[in-house]
Amino acid sequence: MSNRSYIEVENISKIYPGADIFAVKDLSLSIDKGEIYGLLGPNGAGKTTTISILCSLLAQTTGNVYIDSTDLYANVNKIRKIIGVVPQDIALYPKLTAKENLMFFGNMYGIKGSLLKNKIHYYLEYFGLINKINKRIDTFSGGMKRRVNLIASILHKPEILFLDEPTVGIDVQSRNVIIEFLHELNKKGTTIVYTSHHMEEAQNLCSKIGIIDKGDIIAEGSPDQLLKKNCNCKNLEDVFLHLTGRQLRD
Amino acid sequence: MILKFFASVRKEAILMLRDKAGLAILFVMPMALILIMTLLQDNTFKALEENKIEILLVNKDSGTLGKAIHKGLTEADFFQITDKLEDDTLTEKSAYKKVASGAYQMAIVIPEGATDYIQQVVTHKINTQLPGLQEPVEEDTKIDLTKGVNVKIFFDPVTKNSFKQSVHSALKEFTSKIEAEMAFNIYGKLFKDMFEIEVQQPESFSSIITFTEEYATNLNSKIIPNSVQHNVPAWTLFAMFFIVIPLAGNIIKERESGNVLRLKTMPGSYTAVLLGKLSIYLIICIIQAALMIAIGVYILPLFGLPSLMLGTNLFALFIIVLAAALAATGFGVAIGSIATSHDQASIFGAVSTVILAALGGIWVPVFIMPEVMQQISILSPLNWALNGFYDIFLRDSGTLDIMPYVIKLMIFCIVSIGVSYFYNKFNRSIS
Ligand SMILES: Nc1ncnc2c1ncn2[C@@H]1O[C@H](COP(=O)(O)OP(=O)(O)OP(=O)(O)O)[C@@H](O)[C@H]1O
Ligand SMILES: [Mg+2]
Repeated sequence: MSNRSYIEVENISKIYPGADIFAVKDLSLSIDKGEIYGLLGPNGAGKTTTISILCSLLAQTTGNVYIDSTDLYANVNKIRKIIGVVPQDIALYPKLTAKENLMFFGNMYGIKGSLLKNKIHYYLEYFGLINKINKRIDTFSGGMKRRVNLIASILHKPEILFLDEPTVGIDVQSRNVIIEFLHELNKKGTTIVYTSHHMEEAQNLCSKIGIIDKGDIIAEGSPDQLLKKNCNCKNLEDVFLHLTGRQLRD
Repeated sequence: MILKFFASVRKEAILMLRDKAGLAILFVMPMALILIMTLLQDNTFKALEENKIEILLVNKDSGTLGKAIHKGLTEADFFQITDKLEDDTLTEKSAYKKVASGAYQMAIVIPEGATDYIQQVVTHKINTQLPGLQEPVEEDTKIDLTKGVNVKIFFDPVTKNSFKQSVHSALKEFTSKIEAEMAFNIYGKLFKDMFEIEVQQPESFSSIITFTEEYATNLNSKIIPNSVQHNVPAWTLFAMFFIVIPLAGNIIKERESGNVLRLKTMPGSYTAVLLGKLSIYLIICIIQAALMIAIGVYILPLFGLPSLMLGTNLFALFIIVLAAALAATGFGVAIGSIATSHDQASIFGAVSTVILAALGGIWVPVFIMPEVMQQISILSPLNWALNGFYDIFLRDSGTLDIMPYVIKLMIFCIVSIGVSYFYNKFNRSIS
């Protein structure tokens, strides 16, 4: 028990119903408390599948997931209270305003009243959206939606935050404020697991990186370790291409 | 759990109020349908209800025959007798013209002196039966036995044969009654003259053999609703079941947007959220019903239609509305769970609602459907609910009487939700 990491994934596999190949195959990884773990891989590598299993959205076909030394599926409700999930697709109601969306998701986490209102104001202020508080989400730009999508997942101060490509398709300004925020959150003790296609961003942000391809981790370590192991590489992108090849993916 | 439920109710209420087009479909469409269909079908239903043949009666006879025919035709349920025109010019000629112009389906002309003539013929016949008992009839008053009484009947050429037949037989019945009555009177007088016996007049000469007719239907109902009593509940139910389209659409949109995924990573079950959603749609259904019924009571009379009589059991009415609303929302959840896209849900929702409505007797009332269709109509939940409404409106049934329908609707709701639960469990990879 005690030698398990904060998040311990043991040999998980996943086959989607009707699919003929494994989306994730015999994948193991471990993440320590307070870490920022980056899951990098080409399209279809199994990042979303892995993160969905970790955040209790998807049941693995085989294997085990332990969070804080307890089996995830035996204690789903307990663990769901301490995790936050930022989905790859914007998961907000387009016809509701930013405030209405955040009120709703806050309530869903059991937060209410002035505490919730203060949090909403605080985060909208932080992400530069306070003047849009009563505007509908369908009037927001992609970057604005991403920011609200993130806020909706942190209102309950999760101990672990899972983010699936939180910076995809947004401008440098939005990206910077999100990365900056994740740094701060991590300093306050939140463990972060995130996926990205952006190598430079991951290299700067993450304390540990797992490179995933065809449903399994093919290399794991701190950015420096990965660069050292593949000594000819100048940056993470070279490592990535070196490991995963140049062939196009589905 | 409570907080989740109310947050969900609040969210759905806001979404619903912002969806102006959806609200319009849910409320304006059925209001228009009720008004149009009720007006369109008003005459059809009246015909069903009354089914009376309009007859002009020109009675030139002042005796008992004329009176008896008039009385008999009036008392028979299927004739509508007119013996006076507005300008008071009812003659054989004008009657002929009225029928020719199609204003009346038929006219009956009873000739002058018909009663007297029959009286004479009957007397003559009795005299020849019992010769010598009566003073001989003088030559100049001798009657022409071959002449007969000629009651003329003018028919509109489009009149159905069965209608002609029924008029003929009715007339024959009255005239033979009259003949019998006269013969009886003469014999009575005879007995008195000969034996000084006072013969008691029977009070009426009604037939000994009578026929009763009834419509044999599975509804065990002789009560046929009028246009308002049918169309108001029918289109109310149609509108209530139409809610499956926005409801299924809502469920699919939420699923596609990934909001369901987000909700499922949260502690506690998704059920509270779903229940909140259902409550709003349930409330919409009940508001729809209240509005449609109010239209039946207050608006339709403004268009010259009869007002909707609600019966005395408003609680029973509420129960059937609630049961129908639950069945409709349950159906919506099932479609929302099984359909894979918004379009699929809209099409399947619309088509299945229309089919269930047609089968259930919303468009064409069940009691005028062919026998086979009447049997099939029992399968539609809209039919159960509609029968519940009929019972309350037409028979003044109470909550207990409509329970069979309520229970069927509840079972339909539970089965629908069960189907979607198991479908989600086994066919979607979300735990
Ligand atoms: N619901 C599903 N049903 C069947 N197969 C699926 C499903 N979701 C994903 N897959 C398959 O599983 C594999 C892994 O997909 P996944 O979404 O985890 O990849 P990813 O690394 O997140 O890709 P991307 O970078 O494009 O987001 C892919 O081959 C994909 O086609
Ligand atoms: Mg993905």
